[in-house]
Amino acid sequence: MPGTARISLLVGAAAASMAWFSAAADPLPPSATYRPLPTLPLSAVKANDEAEKPQVMRDQQSVLDQRYDLSNNPIPGVMMSGGRKPVQGGVRVKLPAGATWDTLAGMSPDEVRQRGLLPPGFTPLPHVKQATGGQVIPNSQIDEIRTQEGRNLRRFDVDFDLPDTFTPEFPPPIFLSGHPELGDVSRGRLLTIKNYYEMMVGFITPVQMEGLRLLLTPFPQEEFNQTEDRKVEDQSLGITCLDCHSNFHTNAAFHQTPDVRPQAARFRLDTVSLRGLFNQQIHGSKRSLRSVEDFSEFEQRTAYFNGDHMSAQRKGVNLPERHDQTAMLAQMQNAIDFPPAPKLDPAGRLDPSKANERELAGERVFLGKGRCAECHIPALSFLDNNMHDLKLERFYEVGHTVNGLVQLPDGPIKTFTLRGIKDSPPYLHDGRLLTLADCVEFFNLVLSLKLTADEKDSLVAYMLAL
Amino acid sequence: MRALALTPIFALMAAASATAQTGTGNPAAMSPGAAQSAPGMPAPHQANENDRLFVKAVTTGGNAEVLLGQLAEQKGRAQAVKDFGHQMAADHGKANQQLAQLAKAANLPEPSDLDEEHKAMRSQLEQSSGADFDLAYIRGQVADHQKTAQLFEWEIGSGQDPQLKAFASEVLPVVLRHLQMASNIESQLSTTASTPSPPAQRR
Repeated sequence: MPGTARISLLVGAAAASMAWFSAAADPLPPSATYRPLPTLPLSAVKANDEAEKPQVMRDQQSVLDQRYDLSNNPIPGVMMSGGRKPVQGGVRVKLPAGATWDTLAGMSPDEVRQRGLLPPGFTPLPHVKQATGGQVIPNSQIDEIRTQEGRNLRRFDVDFDLPDTFTPEFPPPIFLSGHPELGDVSRGRLLTIKNYYEMMVGFITPVQMEGLRLLLTPFPQEEFNQTEDRKVEDQSLGITCLDCHSNFHTNAAFHQTPDVRPQAARFRLDTVSLRGLFNQQIHGSKRSLRSVEDFSEFEQRTAYFNGDHMSAQRKGVNLPERHDQTAMLAQMQNAIDFPPAPKLDPAGRLDPSKANERELAGERVFLGKGRCAECHIPALSFLDNNMHDLKLERFYEVGHTVNGLVQLPDGPIKTFTLRGIKDSPPYLHDGRLLTLADCVEFFNLVLSLKLTADEKDSLVAYMLAL
Repeated sequence: MRALALTPIFALMAAASATAQTGTGNPAAMSPGAAQSAPGMPAPHQANENDRLFVKAVTTGGNAEVLLGQLAEQKGRAQAVKDFGHQMAADHGKANQQLAQLAKAANLPEPSDLDEEHKAMRSQLEQSSGADFDLAYIRGQVADHQKTAQLFEWEIGSGQDPQLKAFASEVLPVVLRHLQMASNIESQLSTTASTPSPPAQRR
């Protein structure tokens, strides 16, 4: 860099002139931060949305086909905790032509980036319709809510995109931390506002019951409301917390992060399970809210309105009372346990008398070469209550657009628990990984682990035991 | 750094691939009366208000990049600053031509003069020299490219004209590369020099 060594700076003058530039600069357009009001009547928007929908779904399907092997290939003999759905196996992210997982793992991040070899399935997964965004609910949930409540959650502009084989079992089991001896108390049913009382009276406290009622009460939201700015046919009663967190778990419904603008930069969010929430100290993949009370209150006020308090005010915000309703919302959520893991001891380690050799080998990799336990600490419910930046952008050139999503660095993201992990595909905060084997290959590359095939298989076997 | 040139954009901009890349828009934001190639699909070169603002802002900024880049090539003290200025003039010159054709096709007016912000920046830079010039130019470039990246992302999500959205989508990675280059140069300039306290702390 010839010349730079001779530089002596007049920093004061330069800084002053830059301040002057900034003061004179035109700011970015307001709709880069704020949600604009619709420009067309609902009838026109709906007609256009419905006409576009087949193309929208074809575009997303081609993204999925490019990224993944979507075939139905379950792991023999491995079911989710309720025994209602098999767990899918194998690496489903497709490799670029000519590459193998081992050749990729042998390259430096720079080489992978410069040669454009990061598998597309490892990059951020777009929302099915990025420009519109919002919550998208799987058909199983939509149908059951229609049957039980007569409430309509079906959007006229988009459908859920992932095959049913890569979503959690439905309805998911419910485990109460106050009654481990009872096991699953769901009776194979989905909790709704119509059945919650008769299902849960005698099982939970009055405070928890009131929290449950609130968690199942529909309130207006960005796409489900009574204004012309909605994506359901009729004037919607709204949406409930457990419409995505079915039975306090997840049905893989997705939306977009409320924490990023402009719209094209907002990454997809896969619904997280609420199991074991009692041990989680930070909430929201990027917001790091410090209590479930804060989170529950904030979701009601703004986040289900995409982090936009102004839109919430316009469409009918619910403002739960902090010392009464918010506390009850929190106490109900904190009463939900993980599924049983009979091979784990009280500190989250495998019991050698119950685990098989492959699982024990997987635990050794987890604690050692695999570096998994640096964040997923067994004794802390496989959490560390921190956020971490995996710096995936070392492996690909940022700024490219995939089906409307600008692929940008994820930045710090909350550590998610691995307890009961086989029950909650897809994986990562945006659901970009479909199987546990995908997760192993992802972290093998991102953390430069150079795991052997045996070590990878052992890790998957270990995670299935969690 | 010279290898970082804009890819030929028009080759990538068939309407079908443009839609597949930038996604289908939200019809709630379509201009009333906009022509459609299919129900819900804006016809080629059908612009909305956001497209108009995008063309205005990017044209103004692009013209400034060329003028200021040429200035940096002439007046820069560090070779990295001269090289960067040369590349900005070349890359933005090409992008400006491509944007001008798209704006013409969509009947969008293009500003030809610099805006007040960049007139002031040019005036300040013309009056400075040496290391002072280098730092002022490159800090201006960092700020400009930060805003430009956000502006392009906004157009991808909020624009209507499929060709303009595809332009934003194709050029955005280059904008982010330029931002990274400018940030690296700023870092080199700052660490190479002895660094006095910033003005706010000296008051």
